[in-house]
Amino acid sequence: MSIFLSLFRVIKFSFQNFFRNFWLSFITMTIFVLTLFTINAVIFMNVLAEAALESIEQKVEVSVYFEPDTSEDLVKSVQGYLMGLTQVRTVEFISEEDALQSFQERHKDNPVILSSLDEVDGNPFGHALVISAHSANDFPFILEALDTPEYEPFIKQKDYQDYETIIARINALAFRVRVGGFILAAFFSLIAVMIIFNTIRVAIYVYRDEIGIMKLVGANDWFVRGPFLVEALMYSLFATLVVVAFAFFGLDALGPWLATYFGDTDMSVINYFKDNALLIFGSQFLALSTLSILTTMFAMRRYLRV
Amino acid sequence: MSMIRLKNVTKFFKPDTTALKDVSLHIKPGEFVSIVGQSGSGKTTLAKLLFAEEGPTQGRVVIGDWDITNIRQHEIPVLRRQIGVVFQDYKLLSQKTVFENIAFALEVAGEKSSHISTVVPQVLKIVGLSNKRDRYPNQLSGGEKQRVSIARSLVHRPKIIVADEPTGNLDTIHAREIVELLKKINDFGTTVVLVTHDRDIVNALKKRVITIQHGKLVSDIEHGKYVLP
Ligand SMILES: Nc1ncnc2c1ncn2[C@@H]1O[C@H](COP(=O)(O)OP(=O)(O)O)[C@@H](O)[C@H]1O
Ligand SMILES: [Mg+2]
Repeated sequence: MSIFLSLFRVIKFSFQNFFRNFWLSFITMTIFVLTLFTINAVIFMNVLAEAALESIEQKVEVSVYFEPDTSEDLVKSVQGYLMGLTQVRTVEFISEEDALQSFQERHKDNPVILSSLDEVDGNPFGHALVISAHSANDFPFILEALDTPEYEPFIKQKDYQDYETIIARINALAFRVRVGGFILAAFFSLIAVMIIFNTIRVAIYVYRDEIGIMKLVGANDWFVRGPFLVEALMYSLFATLVVVAFAFFGLDALGPWLATYFGDTDMSVINYFKDNALLIFGSQFLALSTLSILTTMFAMRRYLRV
Repeated sequence: MSMIRLKNVTKFFKPDTTALKDVSLHIKPGEFVSIVGQSGSGKTTLAKLLFAEEGPTQGRVVIGDWDITNIRQHEIPVLRRQIGVVFQDYKLLSQKTVFENIAFALEVAGEKSSHISTVVPQVLKIVGLSNKRDRYPNQLSGGEKQRVSIARSLVHRPKIIVADEPTGNLDTIHAREIVELLKKINDFGTTVVLVTHDRDIVNALKKRVITIQHGKLVSDIEHGKYVLP
């Protein structure tokens, strides 16, 4: 008995199943496609939100101003200390002279402000550090790290630009997309499970004569069960292929539209899908086929008396 | 040496039916045995025990030297290829031709296509349907359908054929043809168990007759006749 021959026959039976219940197969596949589509839309939004966040986060900096009489050594040691933190990307040292110069530069058209400088003795500015982090979420930690008894007395002001609210808003939006997407994806997955369960139940019913005869003439057990499992696998595979096709045409079509809203980020989203296609769609296929095979096995246990 | 052996077999169905009560019997290889009895007496139940469609509630069932009393699920296909089964309703697939119906039994057992294309014409020849191999079941008479079903039961060269009322849907002439066919198969050496309640058939056969009444074996006569009303 040849394994390949038997496998071939099992696949042949599954194709017969597929076309014999064409509309049921069609609806099952449609639901599978919708499920995958939802999941990919969620991934897409997520990647988009993350790309937007990242591009903003890279622009975010925190300036730490020291008291005017703080020594350069101490500020340098704070710089070294900050560089040691994994969350910190760069720390730029700005000397009091540079601070004064850039202040004068910024307000060169405003004599009132400039003249106020003359009213104080010498340079009113202290040294400063400009910190950028890998993620905006790290700033609270970084700022807290400066609240030590050694450094705290010398720090005059920590200036966290109002990117904070933008980031918070994007974060909140991304969170909502994630939660909403998760609920939607779970909802569709549940429907997919119910649909495949029903499809297999109907297929077992439609094939009850064949199955009865198969058993009477001594069919191998997996000749009886195999076609249903292959059928479930087929729905998963076809649905994945349909979604892959849509994703690639769709993303290319979306490109120009994204560019107008997000600038460069559109490429990163599309590239994300392209670079990780095997991972993204492969794991979706695996998840979907696992789900449908488990459901099919469950349906067979209920309706296929062997 | 026996081909079929039932030892004190009792079969109980929930909630309250005892279909077989303490039935013991031996059937030797190559025998032709008719099982007779009124409707509801337990004939089909006895037949089902032989191909493990049902298991006994008490007692033992042995086929050849294989005790199938507690047969495992995965061993049932092996048993079924040693026992051909034939039913009153033929159990043919309407969307398959005669040839395909018979080939199906070999396909699902994983037999090679080359084997299938030699065996199917052989069994078609035995049942005399070589010229109708491409017909569909609804293009055949009842007797022809039953011959297809018998041909299918032969594809694994079984040691035993169990036929449960194979003539139940046929007129006298076709019924006789089917019995003649079973006799022919028996002449090749296959053990045949024929379940029937057709008095004329049993009397014409002049073979061993086992009579069941209310689930009990009430007579077992060599060259017997149908004795019950
Ligand atoms: N699966 C079953 N569940 C419950 N009762 C059954 C079942 N199969 C048969 N019976 C009962 O067992 C008795 C014998 O049935 P059966 O063996 O089919 O008789 P026969 O074939 O002689 O007409 C009948 O009373 C029938 O109703
Ligand atoms: Mg019966």
